[in-house]
Amino acid sequence: MTVPRRGGIAFISCVAALLCFPGRAHAMHIADGILPPAWAGFWFLVAAPFLVLGMRELRIRSGREPRFKALVGLVGAAVFVLSCMPIPVPTAGSCSHPCGTGLAAILIGPGITVVVASAALLLQALFLAHGGLTTLGANLVSMGVVGAYLGSGAFLVARKVRIPWLLAAFLAGVVSDWGTYATTSFELSAALAGDGSMGSLFLPILAAFAPTQVPLGIFEGFLAAGAYRLIRTRRPELMDLPQEEGAV
Amino acid sequence: MTELFSDIFAGRNDVLTRMDARAKVACAISALLAVLFSRNALFPAGVFAACLSGMFLVRIPAKWISFRIAGPAAFALVLVLLFGFTVGVTPMASGSFAGIRLTLMEEGVRRGLLLGARVLGATSVVLLLGAVTPAHRIFHVLLRAGIPAEWVEIAMLVYRYAFVLLEHAAEVSAAQRVRLGYSHPAKSMSSIGTLGGTVILRSIDQAVRTHEAMTARGYTGSIPFGPMASMGRRDRWVAISVPLLFLTAWLLVGRGQG
Amino acid sequence: MTGVRDGEWAVKAEGVSFVYPEGTKALDGVDFRVRKGEFVAVLASNGSGKSTLIKVLTGLLQAKKGTVRISGRDIREYSSKALYQEIGVVFQDPDDQLFCASVEEDVAFGPRNLGLPEAEVRNRVSTALEAVGAIGLRNRAVHHLSFGEKKRVAVAGVLAMEPSALILDEATAGLDPAGEALMMRLLHRLNRERGIMVILATHSVDLLPLFADRICVLQRGKVLKEGTAEAIFCDHEMIERAGLRLPYISGLLHDLKQYDGVPIEGLPLTVGDARKRLLELIPEALIVGKCLWRDK
Ligand SMILES: Nc1ncnc2c1ncn2[C@@H]1O[C@H](COP(=O)(O)OP(=O)(O)OP(=O)(O)O)[C@@H](O)[C@H]1O
Ligand SMILES: [Mg+2]
Repeated sequence: MTVPRRGGIAFISCVAALLCFPGRAHAMHIADGILPPAWAGFWFLVAAPFLVLGMRELRIRSGREPRFKALVGLVGAAVFVLSCMPIPVPTAGSCSHPCGTGLAAILIGPGITVVVASAALLLQALFLAHGGLTTLGANLVSMGVVGAYLGSGAFLVARKVRIPWLLAAFLAGVVSDWGTYATTSFELSAALAGDGSMGSLFLPILAAFAPTQVPLGIFEGFLAAGAYRLIRTRRPELMDLPQEEGAV
Repeated sequence: MTELFSDIFAGRNDVLTRMDARAKVACAISALLAVLFSRNALFPAGVFAACLSGMFLVRIPAKWISFRIAGPAAFALVLVLLFGFTVGVTPMASGSFAGIRLTLMEEGVRRGLLLGARVLGATSVVLLLGAVTPAHRIFHVLLRAGIPAEWVEIAMLVYRYAFVLLEHAAEVSAAQRVRLGYSHPAKSMSSIGTLGGTVILRSIDQAVRTHEAMTARGYTGSIPFGPMASMGRRDRWVAISVPLLFLTAWLLVGRGQG
Repeated sequence: MTGVRDGEWAVKAEGVSFVYPEGTKALDGVDFRVRKGEFVAVLASNGSGKSTLIKVLTGLLQAKKGTVRISGRDIREYSSKALYQEIGVVFQDPDDQLFCASVEEDVAFGPRNLGLPEAEVRNRVSTALEAVGAIGLRNRAVHHLSFGEKKRVAVAGVLAMEPSALILDEATAGLDPAGEALMMRLLHRLNRERGIMVILATHSVDLLPLFADRICVLQRGKVLKEGTAEAIFCDHEMIERAGLRLPYISGLLHDLKQYDGVPIEGLPLTVGDARKRLLELIPEALIVGKCLWRDK
């Protein structure tokens, strides 16, 4: 089964049509049923070690600081709420939502963010019909693993090269959002391509999501920077959280 | 926002909410697997119909169902069109649109239908599960299934405080709106950033206070979850027979290529 | 208050000061004592340090200066399990306290932490929910409850631990009149029937004279005055200074006395009292259907 060249345009227009559908765009989370069993299982396997790593970090840190679990639970709830904020995206004429994992990663570290994202994703799948149970692995890889590690990586690199922290937080937001979107596109293209080459679908999907996701990523950058600025000015002591973790 | 959570119906008292959560999860997982492994559109469509009738049976409003199904349904349609136009060799129908000649191919339509039906079937299974099972029961099942207690504890806090924070975020954004915080794109950006930061700050303060309250009731590092009541005869029977039923149905209907 | 030996104070705080990390001095040399089985109100306006005092009394915050003794022992000597078996704390915001997904689970949290067998846990959950009149909420999700319902469930969660002392922060704030009366009556019953010591922080004055044995008025982290309801409310100048007011009924009688020269003896604090005093003054002829025993 191959995708002919002319398919590209049709594909883009179809997915764009989907995005214009009123209501929630399903850009960030892959719904149940789209991934064939093999791919669904594969993404669970990819996500597993990161989750195990995060759980280990959670155990160590909550052993040393008894209120740490409450803090993680609450930051998780905040990520959940941020990722429920409907954002009008004018270019696509629809609503989408940020993922919040980049911001969480620079606050509590990427390892813990993966744990938090897994809880948020399960609850969204079960009670908001957002994402899915069999696609939990895939969504965790894109939003949790890639979003968190890219976000905090971008922040650290930006701080290393002495970019001001406000801009660093902005970059963390943008990079984590775009990373999530690129990963989701890859997961979709890999699954939908069937036996065809996946490269042929990756770019069209990327292009189809671009009108929503590119501005959304920039938006998420503003969100991360604004939130980071607020936390820094109001509660500077909280900025020590990730450093503490680095010392583990 | 909060009223959209599907467990608003889970507090009711009917056949499905009374059933043991383990039985429901077993049914849902077997249904999901059967749908994912199905090779023709008929089988997932049947599951979809079954779940819809289940929802109607326990009187979940049709309006709510259609709202939740709209997204996946649109996605299914897109999949049919997408594969129809791009995959296959046997023309089914053709027409021209804005000067571009489009041909719908049979193989592609079939594949699109299969994928679309899978999406609808699987989504409706999860939708039904979420609408008849309260969250705390699901957490218990997860614990029983061997998910680490720390993770369940975190998930429970996320669930509980998502509502508190959602309310808080709604209040803050309303307060910003009535004072014209969104009157200009640049202002909106800064308002949104403040909103996000406020939610996170509030979550951190709430964490401190929640931990204090937990300590005052004897918390020493892990939330004790009680045991689950043992499954009734009827529920045990459901937990075994329904998955078997799905397996049989899959063997008879779902396995063959349509 | 003299003649009470040290061990008989269920709670005894001496010279307690507390400063928040950013510099707010919330408590400043507070002395506060409560006998076993007493019902004491901490009365103060917003921001006077009620919540801070409660957190210090329950060991959630460590006083910078001064000591807190519970049943004669320094609070720092207690293990958290022993301490919270003794004293139950109900917080100002029920959302702080209700962190489980369902009502039943939340009320069972404390008893389970005490390591009780499951049958006993269930038993205590039912008893506690019944006591606050919330047994019907047992299987509800916490976030679906109204504010007043949350407040009652929060009290149940603490009652389920069967503490010998209850410390409540604004237990009635935000409740409707019926809910307020219900809560106060519940506390009164627990206090009188089971001998549970109650410390209630509040800024609402109208119901206190009916229920509190003693009132302690705080202002800007200092104790202004301490004594029976009569002693407190007769000191108008102090009440005003503390940003509080008289109960409405007493305010009316006080004004009648002060400005109109109506010869009222003392200062009635409750509606029943005021009614008796007024009936004594009104000429018999004006009273059509006298029914003194319709006391509430
Ligand atoms: N976490 C905190 N950090 C810094 N200052 C605080 C904190 N909590 C309270 N304060 C300050 O300490 C003082 C006393 O606060 P507290 O909460 O004890 O008052 P309260 O009497 O309970 O007021 P209310 O009736 O409004 O609940 C206030 O000036 C308040 O601003
Ligand atoms: Mg207070």
